Amino acid sequence: MISLIVVLPFLSALLMGVVYLSNTQKKRNTFYTLVGVGTPAVSAVLSLMAGAELLQGAQTIHYTLFQWVNIGEFNIEVAFMADRLSVVMVAFITVIGTLIHIYAAGYMKEDAAYGKFFAYFNLFMGSMLLLVLADNPIMMFVGWELVGLSSYLLIGFYHHDSANITAANKAFILNRVGDFGFIMAISLLFVSLEGNGFTFDSIEANIGLINHEMLALIGTLLFVGAMGKSAQIPLYVWLPDAMAGPTPVSALIHAATMVTAGVYMVARYSFLYGEIPNIGLFIASVGAASALFAALIASYQSDIKKILAYSTMSQLGYMFIAVGLGAYSSGIFHVFTHAFFKALLFMGAGAVIIALHHEQNIFKMGGLKKELKLVYITMFVATLAISGIPPFAGFFSKDAILVAAFASEHYFIWGVGSLTAMLTAFYMFRLLFLVFHAAPKSTNRLHSVPNSMTYPLVILACGSATAGFLGLNEAYGGGSWFNTFLALPDVSHHIPHATEYMLGGLNVILGVLGMGLAYKMFAKEATEVKADTLFKKILMNKFYIDELYDFLIIKPLLFTSHFIAKVIDPKIFDGFINLNVWGYTATATLFSKLQNGKVRYYALYILAGVSAMSCYMLFKLGVL
Amino acid sequence: MLEISIFSILALFMLGGSIAMLVNKQTLFSAFGFLVAMIGLAGMFALLDSRFLALAQIMVSVGAVVVLSMLTILTINAKEENLPHEPNKYKWIAFASLLVLPITLLIYKSTSALYASFATMQTINSKVVGKLLFSEWVLPFEIVSILLLSAMVGAIVIARKDVVQTQGEES
Amino acid sequence: MTPELFFLLSSVLFSIGLVGLVARRNLFVLYMSIELMLSSVNLLLATFSKVFGDASGSVIALLMIAVIAAEAALFLALIIHMYRSSRTIDSDTFDRLKGQIND
Repeated sequence: MISLIVVLPFLSALLMGVVYLSNTQKKRNTFYTLVGVGTPAVSAVLSLMAGAELLQGAQTIHYTLFQWVNIGEFNIEVAFMADRLSVVMVAFITVIGTLIHIYAAGYMKEDAAYGKFFAYFNLFMGSMLLLVLADNPIMMFVGWELVGLSSYLLIGFYHHDSANITAANKAFILNRVGDFGFIMAISLLFVSLEGNGFTFDSIEANIGLINHEMLALIGTLLFVGAMGKSAQIPLYVWLPDAMAGPTPVSALIHAATMVTAGVYMVARYSFLYGEIPNIGLFIASVGAASALFAALIASYQSDIKKILAYSTMSQLGYMFIAVGLGAYSSGIFHVFTHAFFKALLFMGAGAVIIALHHEQNIFKMGGLKKELKLVYITMFVATLAISGIPPFAGFFSKDAILVAAFASEHYFIWGVGSLTAMLTAFYMFRLLFLVFHAAPKSTNRLHSVPNSMTYPLVILACGSATAGFLGLNEAYGGGSWFNTFLALPDVSHHIPHATEYMLGGLNVILGVLGMGLAYKMFAKEATEVKADTLFKKILMNKFYIDELYDFLIIKPLLFTSHFIAKVIDPKIFDGFINLNVWGYTATATLFSKLQNGKVRYYALYILAGVSAMSCYMLFKLGVL
Repeated sequence: MLEISIFSILALFMLGGSIAMLVNKQTLFSAFGFLVAMIGLAGMFALLDSRFLALAQIMVSVGAVVVLSMLTILTINAKEENLPHEPNKYKWIAFASLLVLPITLLIYKSTSALYASFATMQTINSKVVGKLLFSEWVLPFEIVSILLLSAMVGAIVIARKDVVQTQGEES
Repeated sequence: MTPELFFLLSSVLFSIGLVGLVARRNLFVLYMSIELMLSSVNLLLATFSKVFGDASGSVIALLMIAVIAAEAALFLALIIHMYRSSRTIDSDTFDRLKGQIND
């Protein structure tokens, strides 16, 4: 049954793709909607059923589809494993995915390539589910690559504008750089295990065979892959550009699911990372740095989707802080809650963009809270959640992460995380106030927003409000049902409840501070920020990282390619071949002059030959 | 003593004639050189006690072959300017003689490798030749006659003017 | 008078004939050089006839002369034929053996 969860989206993608290609001009929206939205719904039902089974105490569900490669010790099966971690992931991926599919049906309904969109979208769903439900690292890697491919296809969906294609290329290439680390890690893992089987269960059982240095190397290389996929420093530059894709794509892929694949991967390898806490500290530090970095940049951005993109990067940093410090369940919990409110924020932003006829600059928006009431209320809920205001979901998950940082005595990381929490509240409320509260900039009639776009917002808002209670820990009177269900090997720290309340209260204060600052600066009048001071200039230009990469990496590569293509290839290789050819033709021309058709000359050649022979014979006779 | 002097005179004739044939630009002068060489050769045959051969040489080789070739030369009747231009004639001759030198040496050396001297024998006159020709050498004799016949027919066919027979002119 | 003299003379005549064959362009000189080569072989035959005291050498030389005559007839007929078609007795004009030059 769990194989259906993965196979159905792939099949529907294939079906829609074939139907679309058979006649690209015909509008078959009903068919595409039924197949494209129905399939994730079916997967969602199946996932919830699997979840229910595990809740009732069943063990991990394994299912092997078929044997793929069998060469001696190298034995890969296409097999799925639904243990608690994967079942939680597929549950929210499919449910939120279905909601976003419904939203996309409304958002994309005017588009001519509707069928292609849903084919790609379902391809992505299938790939992500394959990644999560994989039984061995190779299948996870297949899913990993496929989500990268789907991301590329979907970012470049509006392919008539070549800037979108460039953005898609950037995403794919940076993913690829990360995948290099991932492949190296899997290969090293396989070689170190020396033929003791290569599924996650057998790796976990045999992890003692590998020595510490090799484990550290594997852990680092796996994280390099996560850096690319989950947009951490330094491989994050594709995420803001990826906003060139349609908004449902940003909501599903770059908020809720694909970018969390890195976090899922670290949690999946928790048995490995548990042995190498130093690498975990490194991961946590990178996460903290990315969180702060992204929050700083987001505070000065003016494009609504780019703000949300940097916000995603920042929240991913939080998740990596959690899994880096050994609090795997808290990290996954933050993935879970983040999916709700980030998807909601993106979808709301999409509704706003549609309403304002594809305007994306927040300084050109304003005063929408009356017209887009439902969108406003749901986005308000999501903003409260992301800022960590109780009782909304974000408070509990973010609090768990910061408490873990504090309790494991990494106070610097805790400090960075708290500062970022304040900045998060600031820039998110800045967005909310500028879009909905400030004085309106344009008096055009708003474009109507279809209901299929607004109803999912409501569901997600309820989720953002209540999902936090699943992870309520004992300090607040809950039973940590989420964490106990996941049963990951968390590093446990005990701190007194008083400290926990203090830390929680500090988070709330920081959040309210950020909100207040944003209110003061942006709620009434909104002036676009100018780049006057150097500090503002650096921040508004995103720390010039893109330019740095261009200078250090892209330009030398292009120069080398040009050099090889223009100089080495034509002159040296072709020149060598041409020299050979010239040699042959010159020799042939020379020899062809001997054949001039005159018998006299031929007789001369015979005479020369006979003369040579008789010279030789005279020499032998002893005369010469 | 007598034989040596006769031999040297005849050898002079032959060599001089052949070199004249080789070098001359005018075709007819080459033919005359050739004639002299052939006559010298006939004399050589006589010196070698092959009387019949000497006579046959004069009759056939000089009397038929050389005459026939002179006839052809005169029939063609090429004017001085129509003769082939041979600008590098002497260079060619020099180069070819250089190449030919080892061959000459080889032939001379291999033939004189048998330690030989002349045997005294009676002159080979027509009686001796005739006896041999009809007993031991009768087959080659007959074959040569057929050869001559076919050569004659062939020469006529090759040398005649092309006669084009049209349908109307037949019979 | 030893046979070596005759051998030397014969080989020299042969080589002169060979040189004439290669070096001259005139068709008649070509023909006469070939005749000269054949005649030098005749001389050699006659010499051996005297060396071994056998008359067969002479007989063979006689038959050779007949062959020379036959060959003369054919050669001259050919020259006439070739002169009729190309109006020249330059052997270098007949160079169709060199084949076509492919583009």
